[in-house]
Amino acid sequence: MKKKFLALIVGSLLSGAAMAGGYQVNLASQRQIGMGHTGTGITTGTSSIFFNPGAMSFLRENGVTIGASGIISKIAYQAPEPSGATAMTDNPTGTPFHVYGVFGISDKLKAGLGVYTPFGSTVNWGNDWNGRFALSELTLQAIFIQPTLSYQITDQLGIGAGFVYAIGGVNLQRDLPLQNSEGAYANAELDGKANGVGFNAGIFFKPSEQLSFGLSYRSKVDMKVSGGDVTFSNIPTSPAIAGRFPAGTEFDATLPLPATLTLGAGFMPTQDLTIAVDVSHVGWSAYKSLRFDYSQDVNGSNFAENARNYKDAYIYRIGGEYNVSDVFALRAGAYYDGTPVQEGYLTPETPDSDSRGLSVGFGYKLSDDLSVDASFLYINKKKRTDASDLSGGIAGTYKSVAYIPGIALNYKF
Amino acid sequence: MLALAAGMFLASCEPEIEVPSISAGSQLDLTKYVAVGNSLTAGFQDNGLYREGQLNSYPAILAQQFRIVGGGEFAQPLFSEAEANGSGYIKVGSLVGGIPIPEPVAAQATRGGTLPGGAKALSKYLEPVQNLGIPGISVLTSASAAYGASNPYLERLLEPAEVGNKAYIQEVLESQPTFFSMWLGSNDVLGYALAGGEPSNPTQALTNKATFENIYTNFINNLTANGAEGILVNIPDVKTVPFFTTVPYNALTLTTQAQVDALNAAYGSGALGITFTLGPNPLIVRDPDAPAGFRQIKSTELVLLPALEGIALQGYGSQVPLPGNLFLSEREIDEINDFTSSYNQVIKNIAAAKNLAFFDVNNYFNTIKGGFVMDAVTYAPTFVTGNLFSLDGIHLTPRGYAILANEMIKTINAKYSAQIPTVDATKYRAVLLP
Repeated sequence: MKKKFLALIVGSLLSGAAMAGGYQVNLASQRQIGMGHTGTGITTGTSSIFFNPGAMSFLRENGVTIGASGIISKIAYQAPEPSGATAMTDNPTGTPFHVYGVFGISDKLKAGLGVYTPFGSTVNWGNDWNGRFALSELTLQAIFIQPTLSYQITDQLGIGAGFVYAIGGVNLQRDLPLQNSEGAYANAELDGKANGVGFNAGIFFKPSEQLSFGLSYRSKVDMKVSGGDVTFSNIPTSPAIAGRFPAGTEFDATLPLPATLTLGAGFMPTQDLTIAVDVSHVGWSAYKSLRFDYSQDVNGSNFAENARNYKDAYIYRIGGEYNVSDVFALRAGAYYDGTPVQEGYLTPETPDSDSRGLSVGFGYKLSDDLSVDASFLYINKKKRTDASDLSGGIAGTYKSVAYIPGIALNYKF
Repeated sequence: MLALAAGMFLASCEPEIEVPSISAGSQLDLTKYVAVGNSLTAGFQDNGLYREGQLNSYPAILAQQFRIVGGGEFAQPLFSEAEANGSGYIKVGSLVGGIPIPEPVAAQATRGGTLPGGAKALSKYLEPVQNLGIPGISVLTSASAAYGASNPYLERLLEPAEVGNKAYIQEVLESQPTFFSMWLGSNDVLGYALAGGEPSNPTQALTNKATFENIYTNFINNLTANGAEGILVNIPDVKTVPFFTTVPYNALTLTTQAQVDALNAAYGSGALGITFTLGPNPLIVRDPDAPAGFRQIKSTELVLLPALEGIALQGYGSQVPLPGNLFLSEREIDEINDFTSSYNQVIKNIAAAKNLAFFDVNNYFNTIKGGFVMDAVTYAPTFVTGNLFSLDGIHLTPRGYAILANEMIKTINAKYSAQIPTVDATKYRAVLLP
């Protein structure tokens, strides 16, 4: 049954619309989503593989967690005044997922494997909006596979680290401002598989029953596409034009998935209440430009590059969990995620702005071994107006919201 | 049931951006909009007037946006679908060495017979119309009762008894607009410019400045007599129109020493002060005032677009000096500039005197000379690749007309404290290529 579930979610769309800053997708654990996606300064069960490998060594039982979220997101667009042009994305429901397994090699040493989707984006503006020459549709996928070891040095201190192998892909479609004799616009589709490597390391310190701290660092992962396919269609057939958009063109590109450094703390004033706070620094400044290098000249150039010049951003999170009974826990949380996109650089692929997240969730123990976590996250990004004149973007006002329900099963053994 | 409820919840929670308030304001009465002007107003493009151009004319776009804020219906003298090709036009038949070779599309709206002056008579359209853009008309001819007999676009709008007996001004005044746009005057100078400064008939002469002022002022006085509001548009600078800017003065490119030697020998081996070198060379032009009857063109002079094919294929500008009607000499350009700025001063003055909106398209084209990017598309007043100008190099593409209509809407909004929305210009086509 579990296998079927896994096959189902892996087989469906993996990426969510980018609903955190940039194209980050912070949906790594249903319990933690309920708590505002905090988790670096507390033990979070198997998902410590993601939140803080140092805390994994504090797990007392082996366990497996499998969960997924559904991102229902929409972005509204209004062209600069006094234009009457508007648009709304028709994004497919994104389904980021996470699977974690932790196994105790000894009391002190734990091994784990995590498979999760911390980055991704699916934005579909369609072929009818005024920005279609910049972007009609973008799909970015990244799945991180992270084998992890964690060691409990003392009763109070644990360390852990994991190696990250990331696989994914990119698909970008846009119209070209070139019309054939029937008036149809030419379009370009770039499609390629990507991979990259990185690591995730953490330290967890629990000086007392009431207090804990954690520090984690998830490294930058450069997702490299090599030999992706560039497909042109509806190009006017005259050799003078068609020759500028040659068939069989391939592209190389690198998309940096930025490093995230997180400091977290947990307060457990009573046995039934946990409060967690996290502050993350996301190294978005690694994303300088979006560049595609072509294997042959396309419209007279062997590359296309647009500046992005993201800046580093901070995320502030707070969340709590209250055990209503032995089998039932309620959770709530909130966060503020600063945008990495600077003025003039807004793009329709990531029309990002400072975002506010509000979450609720619950956990229910079905038996001693089996429990379920469910969460609901609402994300509201500030309305943002930008000239987009430095990024090759589309000027106008953008507003995004997302509704993200999710569920996970935990099995202990 | 649950899915339905969830669906309703989510639909009600879509992101919303407050729609900017839309209104014509309190000063505008858009009940009856009438467009006054020439080919640019008619929707002329690709060297012809045809149904697609009419449907995408800037007056049609303005009227469509006016309707959003309560404006009335707008009637255009559309060619029927059966006669959609109208007067005939050109499309790009092929591209030879990057040069678009035009291919004519035959007229469909001719009704047989020719008018005095030789133009083919077009299908009549006698319903009342509000787009009174008449290709070819000038301020001078707008006051002539006889002109309606020879201009096929005006002739088709006139009752048989009116032909040759009713001036364009009269036809316009009878339409009794509450709001009008007037983009008239280009042909008072353009006829001369298009003829390379060598007019072959009276409509290609420069209109006397005082005559221009009298007719134009009288036209506006009458048009605003009943309190109509409107927007006046001035005359573009020829140096921002691809017809005059596409072919560089040094379009004679020599790639072999043999070509250089042959031309040097043919042109007196330097005795006439003309020498050729490898690479780009100034074209040889005919000039009756030059000692030899020909000379090299100056870098400040303008070669007309129709010379392009002759230069590429018929030795124009090298073996055959470019005829005087295919370029504008310095003297002719000065003359054109002088008349253009004089006419534009008249238009600006009357706009101020009558407190009308004024769109300085002359300045607008000058500001975009270097190109601009909008919605990730590059625009420039350049031939074919600039997306703004159609295949005749003078008239705009539907996209170009939409962008101009948007500029006019902004001007109207500013003048009359209105909030009329502009259009998504990307919905309108640019140049189609085979």
